[in-house]
Amino acid sequence: MKPVIELQDVRRYYTMGEIIVKALDGVTLSISRGDFVSITGPSGSGKSTLMNLIGCLDTPTDGYIHIDGEMTLGMDEKDLAYVRNQKVGFVFQQFNLLAKMSALDNVATPLLYTGVPFRERREIAMSALKKVGLADRMKHRPNELSGGQKQRVAIARSLVNNPSILLADEPTGALDTHTGAQILELFEELHSEGRTVVLVTHDTDIARHAKRQIHVRDGRIGEAG
Amino acid sequence: MIWENIHLALKAMVASKMRTLLSLLGIVIGVGSVIAILTLGQSATKSITQTIVEGGLETITIFPDRNDPKVAEFDEEFTDVLKRNVDDIETVLPVNSSSALIRVEQESASATVSGVVSSYATVLDYEVAEGTFFTLADNLSSRQVAVLGSDVASELFPNQSAVGRYISIFRNQAKSYQVVAVMEEKDANFNLQYNGSVYIPYNTYTDRFVKPTYVGSYVIRVADGADALAVSDNVSAYLDSTVGTDAYRIFSPASLAEMATSITGTLSSFLAAIAAISLLVGGIGIMNIMLVSVAERTKEIGVRKALGASPRVIMGQFITEAIVLTLTGGLLGIVLGVSISYIVARALEWQLFISYTSFLLAAGFSTLVGVFFGWYPAYKASKLDPIEALNYE
Repeated sequence: MKPVIELQDVRRYYTMGEIIVKALDGVTLSISRGDFVSITGPSGSGKSTLMNLIGCLDTPTDGYIHIDGEMTLGMDEKDLAYVRNQKVGFVFQQFNLLAKMSALDNVATPLLYTGVPFRERREIAMSALKKVGLADRMKHRPNELSGGQKQRVAIARSLVNNPSILLADEPTGALDTHTGAQILELFEELHSEGRTVVLVTHDTDIARHAKRQIHVRDGRIGEAG
Repeated sequence: MIWENIHLALKAMVASKMRTLLSLLGIVIGVGSVIAILTLGQSATKSITQTIVEGGLETITIFPDRNDPKVAEFDEEFTDVLKRNVDDIETVLPVNSSSALIRVEQESASATVSGVVSSYATVLDYEVAEGTFFTLADNLSSRQVAVLGSDVASELFPNQSAVGRYISIFRNQAKSYQVVAVMEEKDANFNLQYNGSVYIPYNTYTDRFVKPTYVGSYVIRVADGADALAVSDNVSAYLDSTVGTDAYRIFSPASLAEMATSITGTLSSFLAAIAAISLLVGGIGIMNIMLVSVAERTKEIGVRKALGASPRVIMGQFITEAIVLTLTGGLLGIVLGVSISYIVARALEWQLFISYTSFLLAAGFSTLVGVFFGWYPAYKASKLDPIEALNYE
């Protein structure tokens, strides 16, 4: 089976003034469908850059990236937005819920960009919220929810378009240990259902939950476990 | 998508009511003043026209120019010439007028003395209050009889009847006239100053008062149901072709009404154009607030982009927000403008004519302002880098 994420000699250089920063300097990586992968590395290692590239928030300076068969090289913002919408489910450290909207509306937002009609959007969003155990919090706004609940809403949101990969950036970083563990359990559950999970973290204890651990240092990768 | 955008825009508006209101003020005042000016302009036009119409649209007056070589053409026969050559004329009345001093014992007044034919009052629907208007016989034998307009009568004969009394009219020399009738009050019809006039028979005027070399003016009564403006145009056309354009001046309430409409119309369009400039200023206010809004919501834009919003979608969201803002401003402006018009019209006792076209115009224009001034902030939002926007605190 074709890997869901494939990077071939990917480079991402930034110019800061006259200095060229090689955030990623030749990364080749493939992640198979249904895998549970962690990406670790200290800050400045290129870990965030790698995540942004996988999440199609950024495009490489050189090299090829395939996300579920889509090659992102040379894509414009419109096409990248489409890939993000269809193939990637983001989960952020700070949840990044839209403050003025209910949990249900938050979860339904990606479907809005897919063009799903209103009624159907609600149904899909409702079942996603049920899945993460928040059936009774649909009408609540983010500021009426606890940190763990917010992250569950965010996970529900990442699932509605049935994406090829779940891309979680320090998803437990803003949570206490107990709540964090519950969120990790949720990811494990999603993985066991066959979803591809990519967990980006600086915490090696959390990384250990993954089946496969990738370590980034100085813009290159190594593997452990 | 449009409904979601409108919904979002309304939410954003409600979330910061004070700011929304302040940023809308420019549009509200702009639209309000345009609406007020257009409405009041139209109301003024209608009021003026109505005053003229009430005075009677059915008369046309021709004044020969005494300095023109063709002035001799304007004689008594000319009344028949006009009637023969122009359609829809009921009657043409020759009138000679000059001002003179009138005396009764110690009382004196200055008045316009007009020599008119005996059918004058009937033709112009000018009612007699007391006595009888002089007759054809009076005219044919040039009797020294007079009919007084209501103002003249009350000035010369306060608190008593004038009919049967004698007045002296001074013009080079004093001549005595017997008053046969006093007229009802009648609103002045542009050039026909009824109330301040003394009427004497046409022949008396030419034989005994002043001997004119031509007829001073012709009052034309338009046939019932005919278009006075068209008749006026036809009379002009006929005169232009016979005596030339410089030999006469023509006045008709209908053309006057048309002139008034055109003047107030031009004036109010001009004022509205000036007021529209404040709309422009209002638009800049909208642009400013939209830029602030985009900057404040950078993180939100980043999140939406991460969730798959394309630049076009983001652009649509913010343009819609700007349009919802300006359209709201426009609607409030319409309310303001109508309120101002209502108050002013009441104060000036005008009848209020509300122009619904101007509402559509105002709504359309505010939408346009929204698109125009919302475009740049929305464009800026759509071009934000998703990573930078997501990391924005």
